[in-house]
Amino acid sequence: MSSSTILYNPNSKQLSLPSDITDIPQENETLIINCEQINKLSTSLISESNPNFTPQPKEEASKLIKNLFETGLKQMKSNKLQEALKSISLAIEMQRRKRTPYEAFGIQLQELQLMLRQKIDLELLTGKYLDAVQDLEFLLGTGMLAPEVFIRLTDALLKLNQVHQAKVYCERGLSFAPNETKLKALNMECTRKIKEYNGDI
Amino acid sequence: MSSFNETFEDAFNTTSNGTYTNNTNGTNFNGTQFNQEPEMEEILKNVSFYTPIIYSAILLISLLLFASQYKKSQLKKRTELPSIFDENDARDLYFEIKSMDDVHEKVIKAALLNRGAEAIRRSLKMKELEPQIELIYKNGSVGEEYWQRFQNEMKLMEVEFKDCIQEAEALQPGWVQLFVGNAREICFNQAMQRRFDAIIKRKEVSIKEWDLKLDDNGMLIK
Amino acid sequence: MALNYDYDESSETWPFFLLTILLMLLIPLTLMQCYKLIYSKSKKDTRNHEDDKYSELEALNDIDTPEEIIKFRSKYTSKSKLSCLFNWKNLFIVVGWAVVFYLVQRISNNDAIKQAAIGIFDPYDILGISSSSSDKDIKSAYRKLSIKFHPDKLSKDLSADERIVMEEKYVQITKAYEALTDETVRENYLKYGHPDGPQSTSHGIALPSFMVEGSSSPILIMFYISLLGIVLPYFVSKWWSKTQSYTRKGIHTKTASYFVDRLVNYKPSEVVTVDLIIKWLSHAEEFKQFYPSLTSKDFEELLHDHINRKSSNEKGPDRNIIKNRIVAKCHSLLLGLLDIAAGFRNTDVANVTLDTFKCIVQAIPSNPKAELLQLPNVDKEQFENGSLDDIFTIGKLFTFDDERIGKILGIKDEKLLKRTLTVASNIPHIRLLKADFVVPGETQVTPLSTPHISLKVLIRSAKHKIINTESFPESMLSEPQDFEHQRNPFSIIEEQPLIPYSYSPYFPVKRRSAWCCLIALQKDNKIIQTPAIINNLSFHNLSKSLDKREVKMAGKDIKGFIPEDWEIGTIKVPLGQPAPNQEGAVYFRIILKNTDYFGADLDFTMTMNVREYSEKDLQQMREESYNNDDEDSDVDESEEELEESDDEGSDSEYTDIDTDTEVEEDAVEDREIKNNLLFI
Repeated sequence: MSSSTILYNPNSKQLSLPSDITDIPQENETLIINCEQINKLSTSLISESNPNFTPQPKEEASKLIKNLFETGLKQMKSNKLQEALKSISLAIEMQRRKRTPYEAFGIQLQELQLMLRQKIDLELLTGKYLDAVQDLEFLLGTGMLAPEVFIRLTDALLKLNQVHQAKVYCERGLSFAPNETKLKALNMECTRKIKEYNGDI
Repeated sequence: MSSFNETFEDAFNTTSNGTYTNNTNGTNFNGTQFNQEPEMEEILKNVSFYTPIIYSAILLISLLLFASQYKKSQLKKRTELPSIFDENDARDLYFEIKSMDDVHEKVIKAALLNRGAEAIRRSLKMKELEPQIELIYKNGSVGEEYWQRFQNEMKLMEVEFKDCIQEAEALQPGWVQLFVGNAREICFNQAMQRRFDAIIKRKEVSIKEWDLKLDDNGMLIK
Repeated sequence: MALNYDYDESSETWPFFLLTILLMLLIPLTLMQCYKLIYSKSKKDTRNHEDDKYSELEALNDIDTPEEIIKFRSKYTSKSKLSCLFNWKNLFIVVGWAVVFYLVQRISNNDAIKQAAIGIFDPYDILGISSSSSDKDIKSAYRKLSIKFHPDKLSKDLSADERIVMEEKYVQITKAYEALTDETVRENYLKYGHPDGPQSTSHGIALPSFMVEGSSSPILIMFYISLLGIVLPYFVSKWWSKTQSYTRKGIHTKTASYFVDRLVNYKPSEVVTVDLIIKWLSHAEEFKQFYPSLTSKDFEELLHDHINRKSSNEKGPDRNIIKNRIVAKCHSLLLGLLDIAAGFRNTDVANVTLDTFKCIVQAIPSNPKAELLQLPNVDKEQFENGSLDDIFTIGKLFTFDDERIGKILGIKDEKLLKRTLTVASNIPHIRLLKADFVVPGETQVTPLSTPHISLKVLIRSAKHKIINTESFPESMLSEPQDFEHQRNPFSIIEEQPLIPYSYSPYFPVKRRSAWCCLIALQKDNKIIQTPAIINNLSFHNLSKSLDKREVKMAGKDIKGFIPEDWEIGTIKVPLGQPAPNQEGAVYFRIILKNTDYFGADLDFTMTMNVREYSEKDLQQMREESYNNDDEDSDVDESEEELEESDDEGSDSEYTDIDTDTEVEEDAVEDREIKNNLLFI
């Protein structure tokens, strides 16, 4: 790293990187990510009046996120799926922006997972299977190994015609819940689809 | 020992008495003894008393010199080995921000928290990887050098962690206790955020890998 | 006991010394070469036999191989038979034996050696009697000889020299007689091998005297110094640095370190792709050693050119040769990476490494339609822009008639189409018939036992009608229970033939494919052991015609299907760790991937039911041991029944957890989150 890689704006108190670095983002990925992380931390710290801040979640943010999320749920109930998806996506975005990085991780994760589950259901209902797959893989990656996740993932992948992937996830789901009827049915569906895919029926 | 002496004398007697010796044996037993002794004395007279001492001293000193030199070069090599992690941008950024003029104090704090979070991430990663690296080293899948680098990393990690704590104490006395807790939460939250941000890119990769045709709404085109 | 060293004045010991050393080297080496010669011949014989059925594909492989690759192969890989016969080893053997014969000749002609041999005292020999003779015989023999050789009785016209010889002979006879009769002399003889007591021994240096004397002695000293001071350290250090710079998997340690670095710094948020693996490969130290002037960027480009089947010659001189050399090297690099990825327990990286393997062997970029693109003569554009979008596999392709296939793949020439179809029907597909955890000598997996995985597979062509496990009689799917197979359950693998050469016309080297078996735990989706590599499987079935477009079904049975004509392959993989301590089910993900062909993979889950023997089982076993001779298959059946009933037993347990203890589940989840965070 050369001596003057970063630029500092004293007014916004934000860091930025010179264009020769941001022009090739794939080679400076960690540097760019670190800059973003510091900026986010700076913003949170500057608005923080208590020098001895703790991981306690902020009431204010919790309320805002909750309101947005509940709006989404209401829209879902009245069958306005597109709007509901928008509201919940917004709630998730707000959560990602308003929560400071030092607020308790456990709470943040649970909050995000809860909202994502709703979002995934809406994505599946509106036919956005690839988005759903990505969000479901996030849930798996953050340790949510529930049968519902595997059911939805298998279903979405089958819809995308990724039969082998679907079977892999379905069988993994069955290893956590061997008697889950939906997974069993999906497993048979996978087997059938693979046979079709291979021209064996 | 005694039996040896007896046989020795026996041999001496019989050979000197006997007329018939093995005719292939060119040198006679007695002869060698008598010829040898004056020669040995001559050599001993010419060689100074200090010769063996000098000899062993030279040997010892050269060995010691070699050993210390070798140790030094090995140590130097070891310290020159690269870290097993990629460049520590979090730490470098902290030092850079700290060295700049009129940076807001909280920005420095933010950079330090980021550095602390990275230090924690690395230590967690090391804990996770330790048994695996040990295994592949034992299996011979990786060379001696890598193992050295891994051992170094263990020490470097501790140093980095202590450094962070010292810096935190210097920035705000008494902050250390909260600093560590906060850095931990930040580490996890940042990891989650990185994973969350990756969703967009992963989606692009999946479209390419699976050769999917999607419309603007993310729906599959039939 | 002599205090000085003699040089070998009369050349009596050094030939022996040299002879011993030579023979020590020559005999093992000769035997080894002979063994090699015979073994390779017999192997070739069996291989030819096996490959006859498969040679069609090999011939097509040769036809479809681009000229450049053929040139490359002849230049870098194939050794002529002459070079096999006339190499350094054989030269050494021939020269060595020549020297041995010369030495033997020399020894037998050397008087000094004979003299030495005579000097050895054997009283029986001297008296001309056998060693088992009685005292009486000894006495009579002595009397006869002493009369003949007594100095007083010798004839007067003997020359002085002859007289001395005769006298000496007489002394020997007397001594021999004494040695056999006189107590003290006899003792001396028994103790030292000579009636006079111990003989003086001489310690000599087995060097001929001309090497030590005069002008040649400095040369000898120089020789010693160069041998001990230069040659020996040089070879030792060379050997040492070589063992240090290559890992046990045969890749350079720098390459291995680079791969490990990549895995340590691998971001779990990133998707592993073939392009990423190729990027890693391009940093290999091996490539840099071949071509120090090129950068890893160049290598990456070359590898991409290879999988896109593009010529690289416009980028610089000889680029195509460079490309072929580095592509050929990828085999060992990929296996090295696979090993390291498995060591890091990273399923994704290991999986994609194997995908990359196929891409490089077949020279095809990663693509959902790669299974069809690996076929020859396919018009890529017409195929990809064709109206039929849902054909991804050869199996699907074979549901259409030949003419239609030609249209789909864009092949107009009938001859070419026929070749393409031959390749398509000869690409192996693998079907799992049976998968078990087997503990030798047991009927079930007990806690802490050491099971291995035993798979029964059917190597089939995509053209074949699908054959279900039930179509085969139980006896074909069970293993021989004789002693030899019980003792070494893996011996059945060796009995299968080697996998034949692959259809891989774009790979610079002729190669055999293999299946790599990755085993991961479903719980965390992490690999638990180093990948097993399967090199032995019969491809016999591929030549069968059971075309799914033609065969008719009779109920559940396929018409014209004779199970005994088909060969069932066995794959066995030892588990790296024993079964868990506690009873219960453990789920494993088994990934079986071919290194060369697309579409020849398996990915399935196996359940290991760990159970102690119940009282019922033991009783059953006792009963069985009474009438053991009846049936072997009986055991298998009862095992399966038990497994099923066990599943039902666990049924209620699981639903209990699912419904009642949600709070507990959350707690478990929370812990798991903390564990899995390292993934993020």
